[in-house]
Amino acid sequence: MSIFDPAQLDRQALYALDDTLIVHGPSGADGADMPFLLIDGAGRIFGFNGHVDLGTGIRTALTQIVAEELDLPPSRVSMILGDTARTPDQSATIASDTIQTTAVPLRAAAAQARAWLAAAAAERLDVPADQLRFDEGLVGIAGDNRRLSFGELVEGHRARLVLDRETPVKPASAYRLVGTSTRRVDIPAKAAGDLTFVHDMRVPGMLHGRVVRPPYAGVDAGDFVGNSLIAVDEGSIAHIPGIIKLVVIGDFIGIVATREEWAVAAMQSLRAEWKPTPSIPDLGDLATAISANPSTARRLQDKGDVEGALDGAASRLDGTYVWPYQMHGSIGPSCAVADYHPEGLRVWTGTQNPHPLRADLARLLDLPPERIDVVRMEAAGCYGRNCADDVAADAALLSRAVGAPVRVQLSREQEHLWEPKGTGQLMQVAGALDAAGNALAYDYQSRYPSNGAPTLALLLTGKIPPIPAVFEMGDRTSIAPYDYPNMRVTIHDMPPIVRASWIRGVSALPNSFAHESWIDEAAAMAGVDPVEYRLRYLRDQRGIAVVEATAERAGWTAHTRPQTLGGEGDLLHGRGFAYALYVHSKFPGYGAAWAAWVADVTVNRRTGEVAVTKVTVGHDAGLMVNPEGVRHQIHGNVIQSTSRALKEQVTFDDVGVVASEWGGYPIITFPEVPEIDVLMLPRPDQPPLGAGESASVPSAAAIANALYDATGIRFREPPFTPEKVRAALHQAGLLTGPLDPQALPPPRRAGLWARLTALGAGAAALLAIASPWRPSIAPIERPSAGLYSAQTIERGRLLAAAGDCAVCHTAPGGITNAGGLAMETPFGTVYSTNITPDPETGIGAWSYPAFERAMRQGISRDGRHLYPAFPYTAFAKISDADMQALYAYLMAQVPVQSQPLKTKLAFPFGMRPLMAGWNSLFLKPSAWRDDPTKSAEWNRGGYLIEGLGHCAACHSPRNLMGAERKGAAHLGGAYIDGWYAPSLTRTSNSVVPWRAEDFYAYLRTGHSPLHGTAAGPMAPVIDEMRQLPDADIRAMATYLASFGDPSVTSALQAELAAAAEQRANQQMSALSGWGARIFDGACAACHSMSGVGENFAIRPSLAVNGTVNAERPDNLIRVILDGIQGEAAMANGTMPGFRANMSDRQIAELIRYVRTRFASERPAWTNLETRVGELRAQAPHRAH
Amino acid sequence: MHGPREREIAFRVNGADHRLTVGPATALLYILRNDLKLNGPKFGCGLGECGACSVLVDGKLARACVVSMAAVEGREVVTLEGLGTRDNPGPVQAAFIAEQGAQCGYCLNGMIITAHALLSRNPDPDEAEIAQALRHNLCRCGTHVEIMRSVLRAAATMRGEVGRA
Repeated sequence: MSIFDPAQLDRQALYALDDTLIVHGPSGADGADMPFLLIDGAGRIFGFNGHVDLGTGIRTALTQIVAEELDLPPSRVSMILGDTARTPDQSATIASDTIQTTAVPLRAAAAQARAWLAAAAAERLDVPADQLRFDEGLVGIAGDNRRLSFGELVEGHRARLVLDRETPVKPASAYRLVGTSTRRVDIPAKAAGDLTFVHDMRVPGMLHGRVVRPPYAGVDAGDFVGNSLIAVDEGSIAHIPGIIKLVVIGDFIGIVATREEWAVAAMQSLRAEWKPTPSIPDLGDLATAISANPSTARRLQDKGDVEGALDGAASRLDGTYVWPYQMHGSIGPSCAVADYHPEGLRVWTGTQNPHPLRADLARLLDLPPERIDVVRMEAAGCYGRNCADDVAADAALLSRAVGAPVRVQLSREQEHLWEPKGTGQLMQVAGALDAAGNALAYDYQSRYPSNGAPTLALLLTGKIPPIPAVFEMGDRTSIAPYDYPNMRVTIHDMPPIVRASWIRGVSALPNSFAHESWIDEAAAMAGVDPVEYRLRYLRDQRGIAVVEATAERAGWTAHTRPQTLGGEGDLLHGRGFAYALYVHSKFPGYGAAWAAWVADVTVNRRTGEVAVTKVTVGHDAGLMVNPEGVRHQIHGNVIQSTSRALKEQVTFDDVGVVASEWGGYPIITFPEVPEIDVLMLPRPDQPPLGAGESASVPSAAAIANALYDATGIRFREPPFTPEKVRAALHQAGLLTGPLDPQALPPPRRAGLWARLTALGAGAAALLAIASPWRPSIAPIERPSAGLYSAQTIERGRLLAAAGDCAVCHTAPGGITNAGGLAMETPFGTVYSTNITPDPETGIGAWSYPAFERAMRQGISRDGRHLYPAFPYTAFAKISDADMQALYAYLMAQVPVQSQPLKTKLAFPFGMRPLMAGWNSLFLKPSAWRDDPTKSAEWNRGGYLIEGLGHCAACHSPRNLMGAERKGAAHLGGAYIDGWYAPSLTRTSNSVVPWRAEDFYAYLRTGHSPLHGTAAGPMAPVIDEMRQLPDADIRAMATYLASFGDPSVTSALQAELAAAAEQRANQQMSALSGWGARIFDGACAACHSMSGVGENFAIRPSLAVNGTVNAERPDNLIRVILDGIQGEAAMANGTMPGFRANMSDRQIAELIRYVRTRFASERPAWTNLETRVGELRAQAPHRAH
Repeated sequence: MHGPREREIAFRVNGADHRLTVGPATALLYILRNDLKLNGPKFGCGLGECGACSVLVDGKLARACVVSMAAVEGREVVTLEGLGTRDNPGPVQAAFIAEQGAQCGYCLNGMIITAHALLSRNPDPDEAEIAQALRHNLCRCGTHVEIMRSVLRAAATMRGEVGRA
C-alpha cells in the first residue's frame, strides 16, 4: 500500500491505483469520466468537485456533506476542487450553486461508497449489512467488538463504482454533522502563511513575468482591440538587468525577467507606441449611454392589461433607476504560474472556471485540451469574475515563449482597469395606483449590457475576433416578487459597453433595487406602512415569513410618512425596508435563499455623509449545512453590499476605465461597518439553498428607502455619495452646509512662475556682447592610476559626494557619472556630460589645468563655454587642494564610453559663445574667504554650501540672464528643472521656521519632521551626502541657520506645528467628497496622524509640510506623480508614485482637498488639472 | 538607483540573520517573498494602501511594498510566519482561527500583523480603537465582524482572561 498525493495524480493514474475504492462517472458537456470520491487503503477519503472555493467556505461545507454520509469526523475528508486533470467538469463556480447543485453527485457518491463498504464489511464479518453501524471510520455491529476500518475494507481491492445519482442518501432527519457549525478547514493554514494561495506557488526554475496592457483600459470590443500596437522600444528597458525576453503578439506585451523587481521595473519603463484609442460613450451619463446601446427586447412576463391599467389609473408612479458600474475589487491582483513543456501545459491558477479556462488555453496555444492541466489554488475573493483567467493565459504565453515556468502577477492598476466590471444597468418602471392606493400596474423594463468578457489574451493576440457578444443575463430576479394585478417585464439584451462580467447578485441586485424602491414609493403614495404594503402583494409563504420575522426582529414601527425618527443638530435618522428572493440563472431560473433588510441610516445635512448604522437581516436558506458559515456569508454580503450602495462606482474617461487604485475606487473601511443583526430562519426540513449572494440583494433599496425616511428625498442612483446627497438636500432646501466645501476664495497673486517666464524678454541683450571662443587646452593621456595617493582619491570621492556630481551627471538608470541626464531649464533642455575618464566621450584627455578651468570658469577643454546649469560660479570657490583631490578621484574612476545627447537650447541661448558675455557679467571667480568673526564651523559650512555644494545653483533665483541673484535673494528659493527649490533663508514661507537642528536632520536623513521629506532633485543630493562626515553636515546646518531668525525656539516651533495640526483637523470634519475619498483610500494609510510613532518609517504630517504649503502646486504634483525615491528618503519609507494610477483630474481633486485641509490659510491653487497634465508630460526627474 | 547599484544588505527576519546583495531600492516585499520564500506578506497594491503586505520592522507596523531594503538594513523584520506556525500558532493567529476571521483570507496577513502591533501597544483596546487601527487594512469579503471579534479575543487571551480556542 502506498501513500500517494491525489492532487499530483491525474485521473488515469488514480484509476490505476491498487487498494482503492473510486466512485466515478461522466461529467461536463463531453461526458468525460472523472472521479467523485476516493477511499484508499490508508483509510483516507478524498472528495472531488468541479467547483472551487471562492472564499465562501464551500470546501468546508462539502467536507461536511461527505463526512455526514460516511459518519466520519470532517477532519478525515479532504476535498479536491476545480482541477481539470482529476475533478469532474461542473462548469464555472457561479450563482451560489455549489451546495444546491454540484454537491448532489458528491453526496450520492459518498452514499454509494458507504453501501459498498457496508457490503464488504457484512461479508467479512458475516453479518447482515443493514445491522452494521458506521462510527468514526469503523464499521461493525452492536454487541460485537469486531470493527473494520475503511482502509482495511478497501485494502486488496480495486473497486470502481460508476456513479449512480439516484443512490439513496441519508434523510435530513438523521443528520448529525450537516446542520451543525463547523470551523473552516482552510483558515489555520492561511493564518500561518502555509502554501494555499496561487500567489505563493513556486516551482523550480520559475521566472517572473509582467504584462503591459493597451491604453484602451477595460474595453474589449471593437476593431482596435488586438490591433493597436504600433511599436515597442526594446531599448527603453535595455538598462534593466535580468530581462530574459520581451514577448509581443498583437496587442499582447509581456516581459520575463529573472527577478520580480526587474520585471516590474521593465513593465514601468517599457515604451510602447499605440494607435489613438477611439472614444467610448460618455459613461458619466449612464442612463443615456445604456439607452443608446443597441438592444433586443425580450418579454418575460405579461399579465393582465398593463396598457389599459396605466391609461385609466388614478395616479401614475413612474421611476427610472440607474445602477453604476462596479468592481469585484479582489484584494489580491490576479496571479498565475504556467509551465509549458513539450508534453503540454500545466497552469496553477485562482480561476473560478477551471474547465472553461482549459478550453480557452487550448485555443490560445493550439493544444488539445487533454494536454493541459489546470490546477486550481486558492486566490483572493472575487465575488464574480476577476482577472484570474486572463493572467493564467498571460502566464501560458510567456512560459511558452521562454520554455520555463513563469509566474505572472498583475499590478493593482491592471486588475482595477481590466477586471470585467459588474455592469451598469438601467431600470425603468411605468406604474399606476388606483384611487384607494392599490398598486394596479407595474410595467418593468431593464437594460443590461452583456458580460461575456472573453479571456483577454485571446483578444489581444487576435486568436478570437473582438466582436461583442450578447448574453441573456439581465433577467435575474427581474420579475418583481409582488402580485400586482397587471404586470409586464421586458429585458433589453445588449452588447457590452465596456468589459463586464457577472458580479455578486448579477442583475438581481439592480433589479431588486428598482422593485423595492418602487413599492416603497407606492406605499408612501398610498399612505400605507411600507412593510404592510409589501405584505398585501406578497404570496410566497416563506417570503412572508422572512418579511414578518425581520420586521419584528428590528422592532419595526409602522409609519406612513418620512422623518418620523427625527434627528439632532445636523443629523437626520431614517429606517428602510427591502425584501428579495434571489432568483438566479437563466429565466425562469430558480431561487436561492430569501432575505430581507431593515437598514438604519443617519444623514449629515451639513456634509451629505450617510452612515448605515445598523442592518437587521432575516434569511431563509433552507437546511444550513454549516450555519456559522451561512452567518459569515450573510455578514459578508451585508458589508460588501453596503459598501457598493454607499461608495462604489467605476469612473471612466473618454477612452476607458480611470479608477486604478483604492483611492479612485474606495470600499468600506472598519469604522464605516454597520452593526449587523442576523436572523437565520431554521428550516432543517427544507433543501439547502445557496447563501453566497442572497443577503446582498435587498441592500441598496433598503438603504435608499431609509434615506427617504430620513430626508423625504428619493435616491434612485447609487452610490449615495456625499456629493449626491448634498445636491439633493440642497434642492430640497435641507442642506445646512456649503454645496462645495472645498470652494475657496481665489488666489491672492501670481507666483514666481509668471515672473520667470518673462525671461525670454531680456535675452536679446546678450546678442550685443558676443565674444570669441576660448582656446582649447591640449589633450593628454589619461593620468596613470598610481599618480595620486589612495588618500587623495578617497578625499576626492567625499568631495564629489559633497558636490553631488553624480546627481546631475548620471542618467536615470544609467551608469554613474556617464552623463545624459536631461535638465529642463527656462532656456531649453541641457544634457549633462560624461565625467568618467573615457578619453573620447568623457574627461580622460583633460589635464588638471583644463579640469580646473572648466570647474572655475565654465570653459570646456576644447574651449567651448559650458552652460551655467553647470554651477561653475559656485565651484570657483573650491580650494586648490580640494580641486586636485576631486580631479584625482574622477580620473581614478572606471572609464565609460558613452556619448550623451547634445544640449540644444532655444535661440539665443543655444549660442555658446554668448556665454562669454554672460560670464563677464556674472562670474566672479573667487575662492571662499573665511569670515574671522564667525566660528570655524560656520566657515566650513559656508565653504561647502557656497562652493562645492553649490546650493545656490538651485535655491537662488536667477535674473533674466539666468544668473543667480545675490544679496537678499541669495538662497531665497527658485524654480529649477520644473521643481521649486524652497527658500533657505528667513524669506521661507515654511509653516514652522527652520532651525539648525532641522537643517541637520534634513541634510543627514532626508527628513525634517516639522518640514517634510527630500523629494525630486533633492533626494539624490541627500543620497550623495550620506558619505560626508557628520561634522560637515552640522557645519552646513549651522551656516544655513544663520540666514534665519535666531529668536525662533523649539517651543515656538512646537506651538506653530500644533496650531497647524489643529487647523487641519478642523478642516477635515467639514470636508467630504471626491478628493476626500481619494485621500482616504490612497494617502491616509501613511499620512494620518493616528499612525505617527506607531508605525515604522516616517509618516509626514502634511499640515506643516513645505510642499503642501508652497506657493505653487508643482512640487506636490510631481511628488504624487512620481513618488519620493532616493536611498536616504528610503530610510524614511518610500512614497510610491501614482502616475500610472491616477488621472489628471483625480490628482487635481486630491490636491484641492489636501490644500484645503492642510493649508487652509494659503490661497487655493487654480488650473490644477491643466498643470498636472503639463507636468505629467515632462519626464520625471529620474525614473529609478 | 544609478544603474543596478546592488549592494550587500544585512537584516534579520523572524530571528534569522540574512545578508543579501540586492538593489537598495527594492521593495522589502519582493525580497521576503522571492528570496526568503515567505508567503505571509501578500502583494495587494504596491502603493501602501491596502495593508495586505504588512510586516513588523523593529516591532513597528510597516507596509512591505513601500519599504525599501535600504530602510531595513540592520533591522529586525517579523512576518506572519514569525508569529507562529500552523501547529503552534501565536495568540493572535489562534484567535483569528477560533473566531473564523477570514473568508478568502488574502487580507488575513495584514489583519493579524496589524492586530499584533495594536495589542503590543494597547493590550485592552475597545472596538472603536480596533476599528481605527484596522481602518486602512482593506477587506473585500466583508469579514469585518469576525475580524473585530478575533482581535477582541486575541486581546483577552493575551491578557490571560480566556484560554486559547
